[in-house]
This record gives sequence, structure tokens and C-alpha cells, in this order.
Amino acid sequence: MMKNKIKNIINNMPLNKVRFWIQLVMFILFAYGGYVFIDFGSSIPIFACPYNRETGATCYFMPLQHQLAMPANVLFGAAAISVFIGLLTFIAWFVVLNKAWCGYACPFGTLQDWITALRKKLGIRYSTYSQPQFDKLSKIKYIFLAIVIMIPLLMGIGVLGGEWSGAFCQICPARIISPMFVGDFSQWKIDFSSVAAMILTTIGVLFAAVFFVGSFIKKRFFCFFCPMSALHYTMSDLSLLKLRKDGDKCTKCGDCYKVCDMQIKDIADDVTSTNILRDDCMFCMKCVAACPEDDALHVDILNMRVFSSTKEGFAKRMGMSHLEKNNDQ
Amino acid sequence: MKYFVGIDIGSTAIKITVTDEHKRLVGFKINASGSMFYKYAKETLQSLLDELHIGQDEIAYTVATGYGRKLFKEADENISEITANAIGAQEAAREYGEIKTIINIGGQDSKAISLDSEGNVVNFAMNDRCAAGTGKFLDVVAMNLEIGVDELSDYHFKSTGTPLSISSTCAVFAESEIIGLLGSNHSVEDIVSGVHYSIAKRIVKLVKRVGIKENVYFDGGPALNAGLVHAIENELGKKVFVPEYPQITTSFGAAVLACDAFTSMSEVEREF
Amino acid sequence: MTNNIKPALETPRQKQNRHKAMEAVKVLNAIKKEFKEPPKAMNYFYDLFEKVYCKQEALHTNKVKIGTMCIQIPSEIIYALDAVPLRLCNGFYTDDEIGSDLMPSKSCPLVKATVGHLASENFSDKPDIIFSPTTCDQKTKAGAIVQNFGYEVIDVDFPRTKESEESREYWRRSVRKFSSDMSKNLNKKLTKKNLKASIQKIGYAQTLYHKLNDFRKNRLVPILGKDMFLITNAFFFDKIDNWIAAVEELIEEVEQRAANQIHAGGKISPRIVYTGSPPIFPNYKIPLIVEQSDAIIVADETCSSNRMFNDRVSVDEWFLNDMIDSIADKYLKGCTCPIFTKNDDRIRRIVDLVRSYGADGVVYQAFAGCQVYEMEQRSVLAAMEKEGIAILYVESDYSPSQQGQLTTRVEAFVESLKNRRRMKK
Repeated sequence: MMKNKIKNIINNMPLNKVRFWIQLVMFILFAYGGYVFIDFGSSIPIFACPYNRETGATCYFMPLQHQLAMPANVLFGAAAISVFIGLLTFIAWFVVLNKAWCGYACPFGTLQDWITALRKKLGIRYSTYSQPQFDKLSKIKYIFLAIVIMIPLLMGIGVLGGEWSGAFCQICPARIISPMFVGDFSQWKIDFSSVAAMILTTIGVLFAAVFFVGSFIKKRFFCFFCPMSALHYTMSDLSLLKLRKDGDKCTKCGDCYKVCDMQIKDIADDVTSTNILRDDCMFCMKCVAACPEDDALHVDILNMRVFSSTKEGFAKRMGMSHLEKNNDQ
Repeated sequence: MKYFVGIDIGSTAIKITVTDEHKRLVGFKINASGSMFYKYAKETLQSLLDELHIGQDEIAYTVATGYGRKLFKEADENISEITANAIGAQEAAREYGEIKTIINIGGQDSKAISLDSEGNVVNFAMNDRCAAGTGKFLDVVAMNLEIGVDELSDYHFKSTGTPLSISSTCAVFAESEIIGLLGSNHSVEDIVSGVHYSIAKRIVKLVKRVGIKENVYFDGGPALNAGLVHAIENELGKKVFVPEYPQITTSFGAAVLACDAFTSMSEVEREF
Repeated sequence: MTNNIKPALETPRQKQNRHKAMEAVKVLNAIKKEFKEPPKAMNYFYDLFEKVYCKQEALHTNKVKIGTMCIQIPSEIIYALDAVPLRLCNGFYTDDEIGSDLMPSKSCPLVKATVGHLASENFSDKPDIIFSPTTCDQKTKAGAIVQNFGYEVIDVDFPRTKESEESREYWRRSVRKFSSDMSKNLNKKLTKKNLKASIQKIGYAQTLYHKLNDFRKNRLVPILGKDMFLITNAFFFDKIDNWIAAVEELIEEVEQRAANQIHAGGKISPRIVYTGSPPIFPNYKIPLIVEQSDAIIVADETCSSNRMFNDRVSVDEWFLNDMIDSIADKYLKGCTCPIFTKNDDRIRRIVDLVRSYGADGVVYQAFAGCQVYEMEQRSVLAAMEKEGIAILYVESDYSPSQQGQLTTRVEAFVESLKNRRRMKK
């Protein structure tokens, strides 16, 4: 009885509100945690960027690039254990939340959602990619992931020089934007110390500028290109948290696809996969909340359902569970 | 004085009509045909002649028609009931107008006949199934409703609700349908008008097969039921003409034919 | 020679109305009286159908009436513009007969009846303008026939595939155009506020339908399929607010009936999922035969009922364009109409209904002349066989004959289901 009650409360929750508050807390934690000496370490699977001096954790890409740039003998010798522990910690963090790190904890993701909220306030409509555009753009994140991994490795074997250090960070808009959370605008500059630095930081500044414009017109503009999202995807099978679909219950109505910030078509059209998590997914669970069928989409921890789509919950969230009395009819 | 006799030996009744040489109706008699057509036909004819005080020798010509026509050997001639019906209808409606379509509902069948402008039968259709939509059917309905057949008309016109249609084509099933309706407290009036409309619809379908041309003539015993006439008129979307004695149109037609046949014969031929 | 004094001859219109009233009353009587006592709240619907179809009373006198030729015309947009949608899909044999003279004899009776009705111009609520989605061939062509009768008919392009992104975009454009056509015609603006209110109102009506349906999953079914068909059918033409109020009341009563363990069926009535060509009042021939043969229709997969209510619109950002696109998606993506090239969705839906409503078998009814349902019959039968689900395929039309034969077939099927159950025990 009690269990059902709790289940009902969760399934009927106003997901967007709940998510907003979680995101706010997480944002404060990761953007301002430093002020109260919070530190979740340096293997966090989100863009908690240490260029922001008050961050509550460090994006795993920072140590990863640093570690991979070590000469091979060091990487596989003395440093191997710490590299391995770093990776294990990263995986440990990731396994808990899966891609929900993106949808709920990443300050950079949250920022985009707030920009979206601002746009909504202004009454401006979002835009979407066409399907062919989507298919092409969706691959860029793997190129970025390659940059994260390959450039440091090339440095390690001496092909590239020190000026390529932290190459991805140099082009990452989070490096420029995150410090702004604490009033630090100093990253808005081009580094002329070397040609490589100049190129990378120029791309970075441009990317940061595009970020604002892009995320204003397109929901979660950056996540589409995020290499962290790509890295997540390679490990998502390990995670305890699962996004699952019961194809038999699905009517392909497309409601989930309609609300998906990442325009993932499979969520509506694939009725054979049970694991419906796709590489672009950020596990925001909006699809589950927008699914009007009982149990067609659900979030599981291992095999326990923690959040399921329900007819009732859908009606509640869409304002269809009672009649608005202020109608002029 | 010369008289002419038309004998219609139907499946349920024997109808005998006598006319004078001006084809005017002199008298008629209807009797149940029972099991012995020939015997009953002869008896009926005799009693009719007695009533009319007409001697056997005054009868100039006799024409038999109907289902049992060939059994009546005394007849000078016999013709099909379709032709007889057509002739009778035209004669009966002489003052009303030219008849092009005839609807006949008999005891156990119903017919639609289409005539050309000369009065010849060009097409006809019969209900090829069973008793549903015939006089017999109305008898059964009245019996189930525990009212007289002659009361059906009054009930029809008193109906105020939507007529309750009967969908079964089979009289036996229709009977149980009616009992069902009665069981669920429907008014007898609505059931009666429903039955009338159901028959009317079926008849009109039959008529449509031969084509509906004005004027439309309606005969047979059930034509005495004004409620049924009303239903048929509504279904047809046209007025129909019902003669004074709709039951005897066919035998009347036979008598008229007898008269015609006699007058067209030469003196010599008549001697035989 | 006498001629009795009789009432004047009926006009063709009166005759048509009488014919339809006779059809209607017969079905209503069967629905009301030939089963265990229905919920009292059903009286609203019984009276509604009697008013509209036996007494030809108009329901919408002061609103613009939008005739729709198929389910795909979004009611949300029509209501938002303060007009009323009237679904013209028709179940009357009387109108079917009229339509038979205007269309090939082997056409679908539903389309013939719709065309016949429009040809007669005899309406209690006459549509001011008609929108015709290009769904099946017969409906598509019927639009043009109807136009010749003098109605204003606007085609709404509908794709015949639904998987591709192209068709989605195509249909979204059609719906956008429909919205602007409507706006122009009614000289009213679609606003964020009125469209949102309308989506939510229809969504609420759908929610009510789902709630009601949930009771049919119970082992003891408190409401029969014949009543459910009447309720959903009423949505074609009823005033939406009245409909909502009536269903709210009904839900309360049905909830009570469920609590009191009231069962509308018999002791071992098999549970049926009904699918195929839509039963539209008064053509409830097969559903009535099914339930008169001691089975219960616990769910259906037809466009006059389940398909009309099943999928609700979800909107992410309540902007006009987003809402219109969402509406468009609902009418295309969720649709299981057999007109689409492939139709695995329909099979999946039927199987899911059988499972979640605990059904013993499926009755698949196709109108003789409804080509797409006839064509899809084999694949559905094969799929059901694979799933081990008993299924009966029957073909019928609107004519009142064949009753006996159909009854025998359905009864035999129902009995076989009962046997199956006994064997299992």
C-alpha cells in the first residue's frame, strides 16, 4: 500500500519543476562549492570546469588530458595506478547516474536550460535540426572526443609540443563561460603565446560566442557536440540507471519525441529495443514524463522501476487531469 | 340477360365475381378454398348464383384464374392471375385514370406488376421468399397483439412514436420479434405501424424492381387496411388507388375477360 | 370506390427522417432493454441519440459547424476557434441506400452513407464547411462528389506512410494550412491561450475516456461495450461540455458499480477485443450480436472509439507553432488506420489490448467494400495466430438482413472461447 503510494507520487510528479530544483542545487554545488570547501574530486563526469576557481569538482577531461600527455613509460609505469584510479572513480561516479549527469548535474547543461527559459519568457520559439542535419551534426562529438584523447597521446610520444597542452580545454566554451559564474571574465581572450594556442583559443572564444546564440535558439545546443556525452555513451551499459522502453505498450504517438530536447527519433519509433538510451540522450526523463501510456517508458535502477510513464501522471503534467474553469465556454 | 363469371381459385380463398355485359359488377363471393378446390368452387358459384337469382343458362362465359384455375374444368377459358389482375385493375380504375403499376398483396404472396400504355403486362415481380409481408403475416401479427385484423388500421393511425421496425424477413422470426417488443413494454400502436412500414418497405423494394410508374393500383385483401395503404404511400412517395373491393380485382378481371372474349366471338362460335 | 381520408403524404425529408428514426429506435431499444441494467448515467446518452436521431433536434444553433470527413481533422483547432466539429462518418442504412445510387455498388457502406446523407441535405445540424482529409481512396473521392452537391469542401492532404520524417513534415504543413484556412474562414485568430485551453479540454475528455476504460480491465466488468460505443460515438457531434459532464457522472457511477462488484456480463462471458471497420450508430450490428451472444467487449481498436481517444497531445513549450505541430503528430503518428503502407502498429496495439484487458479473443469486422480492412485481414489473422490469440473475421454491411447467419457465426466463436477457457481450467 505504502509502496504504491510512493510510486504514485513519483510517477505523478511535475518533472520539470523537480528537475529545475535539482539542477539549481547541483549548479550551486558545482559552480560555487569552492566557497564552502566542497570538492567532489577531479573525476566528475560533467563540465564542472576548474577554470572557475570556486568549482565544487573538476571535470574529468582536465586530469585525463593531463595524464594522457605523459610520456608512455610514465603513463604505463609510475603513473599507471593513479591514472587507473582516476578512470575507476570516473566510472564509479558515472555508473550511479548514467547520463542523468548531463540532464541534472552538469552546470553547463543547466545554464543552457536557463537560456532556454529566458527565450521562452521572451515568447520566442525554438528551432530544430532537420533529420539529415541531425545525422551529420550528431557525429561531431566523436571528433571532439578524439581531440580529447588523441592530442595528449600525440604529445606523449613527442609528435606535438607543450603548446598543445589541454587542447580541448582551450576550445571548450565551458572554460570561457564557467568562470563568469563567479564574475571572472578573464578567459574571454585570445592567447598569442604560440600559433597553436592562438588557433585553439580563437576557436574557444568563437565557440563560446556561438554557444550563447546557439543555445538561445536551440535547446541544449552544446550537448549535441559534447565529447563528455560521447564518452558517457561508451560506458552507459555499465550504469545502474537505465532508460527502458516497452515497445508493446508504445503507440508511436511521438509525444516523447516531441518533447525531446535532443531530437532523438528512436525514442518514439523504435519499438524493439528495451534499452532506449541513445548517444545524444541526456537522461532528462522528459520523454518518460511526456509518455501517455502506462509503463511504456520507464527509468530503472537495475531492475527496479523508479519512474514510469503513466496515463495519470501524463494528464497531471499536461493539465489534462481536470478542466480549467477559466475557459470562456 | 347475359352474365359473365370470373373465378379466382387462390391458395387461401376462392373468389368469384359476376358481371353483366357492360362489365358492371353484379355480385361476388369469397370462400375459403380449403382442401377440395373444385368442390368448393362449384358450391360457391352455385350459392352466388342463387343469391343473385341467376340461372346457369344465363351465364354466357366463364374464365378461371389463380393457382387452382386448371382444376375448374367447367371454365370456358383460363388465364394467369397476372393477366387477370391487370385487366381487373384497369377496369376497376377506369374512372380514376390509367393504371401503370399494380401492387397486389395476397394471402401468401405479394406481386408487383408493371403495365404499358396499352395495358399489357410488361414486367412483374413476386416475393420469392415466404409469407412475411403478406396477408397471412398480418393475421399472425394481429393474433399476437390480440387485436382483430380490421383493427390494425386504427392502431396504425393512433401511433405517435417512432414506428418499431421488424427486421426479420421470416414470418416465424418476425413473430418472435413482435413478442419481444411487446415484452419490453412498447405500445401496440407503434408496433402496428412498424409492422406496416416493414411490409411497405419490402413491397416497395419489389415494386422498384419492375419500376414505379403512375398511377399505382393496390389490391388484395390487405389493401382494406388503410394503415398499410398509408405506409405504402409514404414509402412509395406516391398516392395509390385502392378499389372499393380490393379483394376481388383478379376474379373481376377474369369476368371482364370473359365478357370481352364473348363479345369478340362470332355467332357461330358462341354456339359451341 | 372509396378513398379514406388519410394524413398527407410524407415529404422525402420526412420519410428519410422516419426511416432513420426507425433504425435508431430499434438499436436504442436493443441497447437499453436487451441487457442487464445499464448504469443510470447512460440515460444521458440514450436521450441524446433519441433527440438527435429520432426527433432530429439541432444541438448547435449558434456556432459555426465544421464537418469532418475523417478522424484526422484536429478538433483541438476547431474548438479553439469557437466552432464545433461534426464528424460526418455515418452508420445509417437509410443514407447508405441513398448513397448507393451515387457511388459504385461495391463501395464501403460508411462512405456511401456519408455521401447519401450529404446528398439528402437533411441535417439536424448542417455543416457550414467540410474538411476532407485524403485518407482512404473512397473518402478522398467522396470529398469531390460531395462538393458537387454544393458544399464547400476543403481537402486536407494526408500522407499514406507515417514512418518517414518527410511524411511527418508533410502532414505538419497540412495541419498548419488547415489552421490558417480555418482562421480565415471563421475570421478568428488562433491564439496561444485559446489553443492551449482547447488542447487541454480535449485532453481532459481523453483522460476521462481512459479512466472509464480502466474499469473494463477488471475481472467483473461494470460497463458493456455497446454502451462504450455509444459514449464515444456521441463525441462525434455532442456539445463537448455536456459530454464531459455526462462522462464525469458516469465514471462516478461506474466506480460505485465496480466497488459493488456489479458485472454487466454473464458468469463465463468471454472477453472480446473488437477491431476493424468502425461501428457507428446505428450500425452496432456486430457489437450487439457479440454481446447478445454472451460475450463482453472489453476493448476496441476502431477509429470511432479507441483510436479517437487513445493518444493525447503532449506539448513541450506552449507556443502556437509548437502546439500545432504536436497536434499534427498525434493525428499521424499514433494513427493505426489500415490505409498506411505498413501497419505493424495496429497489430501491436491489438495484441497489447488483448493482454492488458485480459481478452479471450478478437472479433475483426470489416465492411464489405472497405478495402483496406479487408486487405489487412490476412496479416492480422496470421499475427494473432502466431500470438495464440483466437480471432474471428466477419464481413458485414449496413443492410438489416444477414442477421441470422452473422449471429450463428459469432455465437459459435463465443462458444469456442468458452470451451477454450474450460479446457484451461
